[in-house]
Amino acid sequence: MKLPRNLRAWITVLVAMHAVIACAGFFAPYDPAEQDREHPYAPPSAIHFRDASGSVHSRPFVYTLRLEAGSVDHYEEDTLASSPIEFFVTGARYRLLGIVPCSRHLFGAGGTRVALLGTDGYGRDQFSRLLWGGQISLLAGLVATALALTCGLLVGATAGFRGGWTDEILMRLAELFLALPWLYLLFAVRAFLPLTVSPLEAFFLVAGVVGMVGWARPARLVRGVVLSAKERDFVRAARGFGASGIYILRRHILPQTASVLLTQAAILAPQFVLAEVTLSFLGLGVPEPAPSWGNLLANLQQYSVLTSYWWMLIPALALTPFFLGYLGLASALQRWADPSKMEAVGPGAWR
Amino acid sequence: MTRYVLRRAVHAAFLLLGVSLLTFLFSALAPGRYFDEMKMNPQIAPETIAALRAQYGVDQPLPMRYARWLDGLVRGDLGFSFAYNAPVGPMLRVRAANTLLLTTIAMLFAWGFALPLGIWSAEREGRWPDHLVTAATAALFIVPDLVLALGLLLFAVHSGWFPAGGMAAVGAESLSWTARGRDYVLHLALPVAALVLGTCPMLVRHVRAAILDVLDSGFIRAARGHGISRRRLLFCYALRAATNPLLSLFGLSLGTLLSGSLIIEVVMSWPGLGPFLLEAILARDLYVVIGGVLLSTVFLVGGNLAADLLLYWADPRIRAERV
Amino acid sequence: MPAANGSMAPLLTVESLMVRYPPRHFGGTRAAVTALDGVSFSVLAGTTLALVGASGSGKSTLALCLACLGRPTAGKILLEGRELTALTESQLRAVRPKIQLVFQDPSGSLNPRLTALEIVTEPFEVQGRFTEAERYERAGALFERVGLSLDMGPRAASEFSGGQRQRLAIARALALEPRLLILDEALSALDASVQAQIANLLLDLQRASGLTYVFITHDLAMAARLGDEIAVLERGRIVERGAPGDVLDQPAHVAMRALMAAAPRWNAPTKDQAGE
Repeated sequence: MKLPRNLRAWITVLVAMHAVIACAGFFAPYDPAEQDREHPYAPPSAIHFRDASGSVHSRPFVYTLRLEAGSVDHYEEDTLASSPIEFFVTGARYRLLGIVPCSRHLFGAGGTRVALLGTDGYGRDQFSRLLWGGQISLLAGLVATALALTCGLLVGATAGFRGGWTDEILMRLAELFLALPWLYLLFAVRAFLPLTVSPLEAFFLVAGVVGMVGWARPARLVRGVVLSAKERDFVRAARGFGASGIYILRRHILPQTASVLLTQAAILAPQFVLAEVTLSFLGLGVPEPAPSWGNLLANLQQYSVLTSYWWMLIPALALTPFFLGYLGLASALQRWADPSKMEAVGPGAWR
Repeated sequence: MTRYVLRRAVHAAFLLLGVSLLTFLFSALAPGRYFDEMKMNPQIAPETIAALRAQYGVDQPLPMRYARWLDGLVRGDLGFSFAYNAPVGPMLRVRAANTLLLTTIAMLFAWGFALPLGIWSAEREGRWPDHLVTAATAALFIVPDLVLALGLLLFAVHSGWFPAGGMAAVGAESLSWTARGRDYVLHLALPVAALVLGTCPMLVRHVRAAILDVLDSGFIRAARGHGISRRRLLFCYALRAATNPLLSLFGLSLGTLLSGSLIIEVVMSWPGLGPFLLEAILARDLYVVIGGVLLSTVFLVGGNLAADLLLYWADPRIRAERV
Repeated sequence: MPAANGSMAPLLTVESLMVRYPPRHFGGTRAAVTALDGVSFSVLAGTTLALVGASGSGKSTLALCLACLGRPTAGKILLEGRELTALTESQLRAVRPKIQLVFQDPSGSLNPRLTALEIVTEPFEVQGRFTEAERYERAGALFERVGLSLDMGPRAASEFSGGQRQRLAIARALALEPRLLILDEALSALDASVQAQIANLLLDLQRASGLTYVFITHDLAMAARLGDEIAVLERGRIVERGAPGDVLDQPAHVAMRALMAAAPRWNAPTKDQAGE
């Protein structure tokens, strides 16, 4: 199947971004839990090509940081101790894609730590935490999307195909779920589940809650497709041969839902990632010490952190390229599925 | 007319009832554990817990508990807050009023910007102003509310022009009327800005789409053929015809705005439903959570009902449908 | 071709068929609708009954009932003397091959994502008959019968022209070797010349295999061309019946006269001839 150029472009971009996150262990120089109590809230490492004496090096390097005399959070560079940045270094062990044990990292600085995005209160490298946190946030969002779409497909297909009371009840239920503002609904469901859970449990909890809450809109869309497909003459013809409901669903109706589901996936995925980020930010999602884009931003709620350590805001920007990518994908998908439609991404689809 | 109003009102009432049942059912997911976690809270005496368990009939079957709660609701009793040791109603009322203030003002501004911008953009479709607006809205669209709020907060801190959160300065009651008013406005500015920036992109896009749709239709082209001026065409004809989708959009935008207000209130310390609800969840304050969620639904359903009624008044086709 | 045993018992008998939709109050009001109000007729094997009616006369409802795709409120449908309306769904499954439908809209009656081969072999797949190879062979024979070539098999249905799609639809309908074919406005969406081709195809097939047709249409000319008997349907009732010549020459009922008045008169004098 030949895909249009712009669709392929967006898919490539998204796959590349996800690949980087998936291989977080390789791209991140340090283990996300590795603390460095001697360098809390250190600013992003300055990468130099020219040293104090004025000579230029071909290889970039960083200076070791030390606290300024009489300060607790201001650092100065020790111009006598420089460490060149090396590539493909051996470092902390990790599992690539969760399976393959590895210890090569893309880059690192032998003698000292190179913190591209600074460090947090425990001296943990924010860049590494950003990449590893991305794994959790993105995966949670994607799992939630899969859950919501599966649920939506089942409910929508059942309601559309069987009609009558089943349809009426299921659609009223969907209406109830849509009657609440989505974040309040999320809160309502999260509120009554246990608060203190392990990071792994929290991951499944968040993915489950977000997915469970988001089935209503896909269900309505699938129902619409099923309803119109049901009335088509080729379905009638199949019934004329004595086809059972299941055969008709499988052969004729469900393939029609594929394009709707794909587009919904592209629209919902970033929304669900954002939901996880919001929950974790507020302390209702993935807890420390596991990194997530949400809890990386959490300590910004402290005034001192917000005002003094600007680099702690950077994880907020991590979401943006992904949102852009998914938005582009969704638009391209919609245009591919229905070229006559001028406006991509329907009302209320995003929030 | 009254039949239609009655129908929509009954529908809204059923929705609210359904949502209350749904939230109550959620709370049933972990009833015992709820009170167990409360036991771990040193602020709440064990006798209180026991009394509350009895009063709220936690050991009774779910339908009974729901009936009891519903009965209380009808009498205006929204339950009891374990964390504050006070009835939920009055506290929620204050918070809800603050949220309502914020969302109403934000709604006015958001539509105030989005409507002209959308129309202007639609009118100049394909030309550079349209492209500019589309690019700007796309750029803003991508930024989540959370990030917007944090960014604005940072801006407030660094510029010093706006207070960094809260609803009023300390000791505001002692200020003169004008000073107090100015204080309020300053405190409102950033949260409203965050909300407006968050909802405007979607609104502009949809207003533009709705107007474009209408401008494309046959009767507009016929009117142009009659030589009616562009301005008159746009405002007297096109806008009127776009009322239907625009009013539906209003309902939709209300939902977005309410959800957005939740997170913005938390980040910017605006004393609305948001932070209150969050606190309640962390403190396992069951009835505050249920009450807060229900109240937000009341706003949303109420807003949609208002939009429906406005639609009925504005769109003769609906009146003719004899629904 | 007369029936094998020489008897002239009708293949299809419809007795007092009534289809009524009850009024709906919940979720939007709608008054009771009577789509068919006591329709009765019979069709002899190997012949064609042309049912003519304007839109809203109940034609489509009748087509669906005859194909057992909708339950009538009252009345009976008998095929070869067997009462179809009394059968359960599973009993019906064995009988379904005998009655097949060909629809009007070629782009709606074939799944555009399937290939021509898949479409024609779908009846076999549903009924669970024959092996892969046998199906392919039979598909080939069916294609030939309707004037298509087998190398069109792998093409998607959406790539065919209107006339070819109708041929495909007819091929599919013939797959299970039916005795009765219900043609619901089967020619109405085609161009005039293509209409003639497909009409000829249908007549040839009838001559060769002894098929019985119920041909539903609003087009009088087609009805007269294909029908051994014409029946006029209006508002759920048959208001006139007879041989084409009789009905067209001596239209008794108002509806029939209205239909005739509305039909284009190709044999009437042209404008310049009439001196206008």
